[in-house]
Amino acid sequence: MSIFKKKDLPYDLSNFTILIVEDSEHMQNLMASMLKVFGVGEILACANGTEAMDLLTVLQASRKSKYLTSVDIVLMDWLMPKGNGEQLLDWIRKSEKDAIRFLPVIVVSGYTTEYIAAKARDMGANETLVKPISGTNLAGRICSVIDHPRPFIKSSDFFGPDRRRHNVAYEGRERRSTPAEEVKVKTNG
Amino acid sequence: MVEGFKAEMYKIANRLKARMGARYKDQKEGFLAPDVIEEADKLIAQLCEICPDVIGKHLENLSSLWDQMRDMPNSPERTETAEKIFTLSHEIKDMGSMCGYGLIAYFAESLRDYIARTDLNLKAQVVIIQAHLDAMQMCHRKGYRTDAGPEAEELKKMVKMAIDKYH
Repeated sequence: MSIFKKKDLPYDLSNFTILIVEDSEHMQNLMASMLKVFGVGEILACANGTEAMDLLTVLQASRKSKYLTSVDIVLMDWLMPKGNGEQLLDWIRKSEKDAIRFLPVIVVSGYTTEYIAAKARDMGANETLVKPISGTNLAGRICSVIDHPRPFIKSSDFFGPDRRRHNVAYEGRERRSTPAEEVKVKTNG
Repeated sequence: MVEGFKAEMYKIANRLKARMGARYKDQKEGFLAPDVIEEADKLIAQLCEICPDVIGKHLENLSSLWDQMRDMPNSPERTETAEKIFTLSHEIKDMGSMCGYGLIAYFAESLRDYIARTDLNLKAQVVIIQAHLDAMQMCHRKGYRTDAGPEAEELKKMVKMAIDKYH
């Protein structure tokens, strides 16, 4: 055993592919440049949800191609013409393909209301980032998605990452409607 | 859903961490190097240098769209133009709030939310949208940034009067 404490290394994102879905050209360029600076290996961009659905479908279908890469994280704006974030997130989580439906999704919203954050979470977003973005908060959300991959929950009205982030003692009213013994646990990957 | 169960839980392997290689396996929480975060913040600062020009162009486009829309009767074409105004004002709001132009972002957000309303009649829209446009053009011309202060309050009052009177 070494007497030296192992030093933590900053994350190396060079093997990552991140898809940006953002209609504003300036914001799209900004986010792409920021990700490039973060060392992300491949950055893909779409101007709206419809384009993103098409791209994800093609990439999923060609996953074995050495020329095409699969997406690791989706970074999506919420408000876009021609297929907004809500429609795209719904499409992703309802996909029959595991490579799509389990994709980590970070919603970037210009709406500063809690309503949007709650809505995105209830539709299956992993993280929400409220604009204006900064280097620190974008890096924080990416690291959070890497560090804390929550299990996915499928119930009659929800599919997405477990909305219960912390397993802590709680003295208030129990609002979790499904007892643990009624949850079937599956292992994927 | 599996019979007899109300919910299913999928425990997924951490593919993202695996993608980075074995050296991160034992690291509980990760981080990006501070210098790259600093570099990313510089990119935001660079974008903000051109922000007034970008907003100026957006305002020109907004005015021209509004010129087209103002006299249109209720029609699909009018709705389509309203959608373009909605998107453009949302973009001004994003840029403005990103780069510290809080007042213009305030009016852009307000315009975005008003144009999305379907219960406004044409007369109300004419006055309310025009008031927002005038306020944003004034902010841009005079270089007002903060959404507080006497000038900001004056402009907000002007827009609020239009809203209160016609809404």
